[in-house]
Amino acid sequence: MKEKIQQFLDSDLLENYLLGTTADTETLQVERYIAMHPEVRETYDELQENLETFAKLHAIKAPDALKEKILTSIRKESMARKYFYRFAVAASFAILVSVGAGYFFWDQNQSLQQENAIVTNKIDDLEETMREQLEDVRNQFIVLHNPETKKYSVKGNKKAEELKAVAYVNPVKKLSYINVSKLPNLPEDQCYQMWAEVNGKMVNLGIIHEADSQEKLLALPYSDSAVGYITIEPKGGNQSPTVENIVANITY
Amino acid sequence: MPQHHFFYDLHYIMSTLLEKHIVELLQERDEKAISLLYEHYGDTLLGVANKVVRNEELAQDVLQESFVKIWKKSDSYDSSKAKLFTWLFRITRNTAIDKLRSVNTKSDKEIQIDVSDVYNLGVNSTRPEFMDVRENLEKIESKYQIVLDALFFQGMTQQEASDELDIPLGTIKSRLKIGLRELKKIYGPTLLLVLSLNLIP
Repeated sequence: MKEKIQQFLDSDLLENYLLGTTADTETLQVERYIAMHPEVRETYDELQENLETFAKLHAIKAPDALKEKILTSIRKESMARKYFYRFAVAASFAILVSVGAGYFFWDQNQSLQQENAIVTNKIDDLEETMREQLEDVRNQFIVLHNPETKKYSVKGNKKAEELKAVAYVNPVKKLSYINVSKLPNLPEDQCYQMWAEVNGKMVNLGIIHEADSQEKLLALPYSDSAVGYITIEPKGGNQSPTVENIVANITY
Repeated sequence: MPQHHFFYDLHYIMSTLLEKHIVELLQERDEKAISLLYEHYGDTLLGVANKVVRNEELAQDVLQESFVKIWKKSDSYDSSKAKLFTWLFRITRNTAIDKLRSVNTKSDKEIQIDVSDVYNLGVNSTRPEFMDVRENLEKIESKYQIVLDALFFQGMTQQEASDELDIPLGTIKSRLKIGLRELKKIYGPTLLLVLSLNLIP
């Protein structure tokens, strides 16, 4: 170890470090030696003392005017730094605010867009529904007021003798409607369902609700020789008609 | 002389206190630090700059640049790694070397550094305030001065100094040793002088 220290002291590393001319790795090495070995620390301190003494021997009177010049440039430097910091603080604050505002507006825009999409869809739905209903009403009007329209009275069979309905069929416009005006009461777990047999195919026309059945004209699919049926089905309707529960049939 | 020791210690304590005070001011970024540094180290640092650039006007530019750097770097000073003067010296010397390089790479016509500038030293030495210092410097024989110069100002390694000055390495080493011993002899009286100057106000 002693040899290693002597070797280190014999190298010019410590002197170079003193003058600040060592490379980064050398600096670390020297600082390690100084920290670990008191004799190196001592030599370094002595070198520092000697440097100061030797440098003092070469002193030249530094003019007072230069001091003022230096102080002026330092004030400028401090000022620039201060302004820079102020500016930096202001700028970061501004950035923070604008990022926050940006996020807020983005978020708002996002939810507005969603709302917009929902509203557009609703309008489309409404339009579609209105178009359908208008079409339906127009057809009803045509059927009811067309001289070609034939009117059939429908009556229920034994199972529902009170059932009364009127079917309107217009072969020219190929439109047919039914108005069920009276339905006998059914137990809670049953309902009336409307069917039509069109070209040999059974079509489900849906459940007849008593409440609206009196005012409403129910559209029937048109065919030259179609048969409409009303059946009693379990509550909620059925996939196919229960033949033995047919309460009325309408040939049109 | 035991008295020497007493004054040496006293001076050491005072300069350490002053150093501590300046370092504190520097870390607080108090402008007063620069004033104090200029008062206590300005002359020496100007001397250091002048030793490198060998032109007093240029040396003053160097000193100004160095002080601005010292101010900017004030929070990087680590008292556990170097004495305040050593840190100041490094900054000043490096600034001077950079200045010399930039001047040399510029067209040499702008600022001619010729042999006549070297006589600036001679002019300075006639100024009364530098008489003591010059006297002290003269106490060190020039052959030792040259070696100290190579080491402290020119940053030469001992081997480089040996090559440059055409003196055997062993002689360089022994002259350095003697030179440093001579330097230490000057310590006492100089410090006493500095001390007495410090005590007057």
